[in-house]
Amino acid sequence: MMLYENFDKNEIYILSMLIIAYGAFFLFPKKLPRDVTSMFLVWGFAYSTFFDFTIGGGLLDFYKVNDSNKYELFDLLTYFPFATFSYFFIYFYERLKIDKKKFLFYVIGWTIIGLVMERISIWMEVIHYQNGYKQYYSLIVFLVVQTVTGLYYELIKRQHKY
Amino acid sequence: MAIAVFFFASWLVCVAFAVMQKKLSLVENTFVYLIILIVSINFLWIIIEEFKLITLTKNGVDYTAYILNRSVIIPMLIIMQLNLIQKSNSVAKSAVIVIATVAIMLGLSVLSTQFNITTNIKWNFGYDVIYFLTLHLIGYYVFKTFRKIAYREVKNT
Repeated sequence: MMLYENFDKNEIYILSMLIIAYGAFFLFPKKLPRDVTSMFLVWGFAYSTFFDFTIGGGLLDFYKVNDSNKYELFDLLTYFPFATFSYFFIYFYERLKIDKKKFLFYVIGWTIIGLVMERISIWMEVIHYQNGYKQYYSLIVFLVVQTVTGLYYELIKRQHKY
Repeated sequence: MAIAVFFFASWLVCVAFAVMQKKLSLVENTFVYLIILIVSINFLWIIIEEFKLITLTKNGVDYTAYILNRSVIIPMLIIMQLNLIQKSNSVAKSAVIVIATVAIMLGLSVLSTQFNITTNIKWNFGYDVIYFLTLHLIGYYVFKTFRKIAYREVKNT
């Protein structure tokens, strides 16, 4: 594993994202129980890792993260902002009091945010599509992940009783 | 054939987990599952893709069987044994549970090589046992640390 191949705009973008994402995480008032917060931070990290190493690498190898197909330390850092994205998905789910009527619009809203963020990541050369991957494939990933995240949170809330 | 075997194994662990009496909450089970998933994905990527200690099939269907083993079976077995250990009241019983889950994981590794999903280059089943035992340890300490941190009460001063 290497630290990075070249320190340029993709590494600067990742570091900026880390500062913004974790800055917001620590600044926003805490609304969720500590165990649920921890779980959803790990949730975001896990799903981004899962998709990157399953469709982004291996047999399909649909995209390259950062400067090379080798595992860089900055590849690992790329997953840390996703931890906060998943947390904020739940955080605003709670703050905006998302119910059955709003759920569909909430997921679509976050899917648009996800697609825009992915486009920025392409401009910043964090993600490089290969082997025929198109951005609209990501729509499927975002819709599935965010719907499952919302439904799983509902399940946890029912068991947690808070 | 490989996909049928690994899909059946995945289905079996999921159903067994769903019906078993659990000692960990949904949040705790999920947390440990996700941590094991992250460790498992990263570790296997490093030994397969970076160090080339194992080679992986190029067949899409067999590759799916590998993904099922990596992402479903192994993490599910870890949380299942963790729930069983929390229920057991003796060290001997806990040791038997750990030995049984390591044996199942090892059996699946042997099956992976038999079906040519994986080919050990500079790797052997002894290393697999060490890796599986390490996953058990990680699962146990992650769970203990999570309980300590997540449910720590704020002390009044």
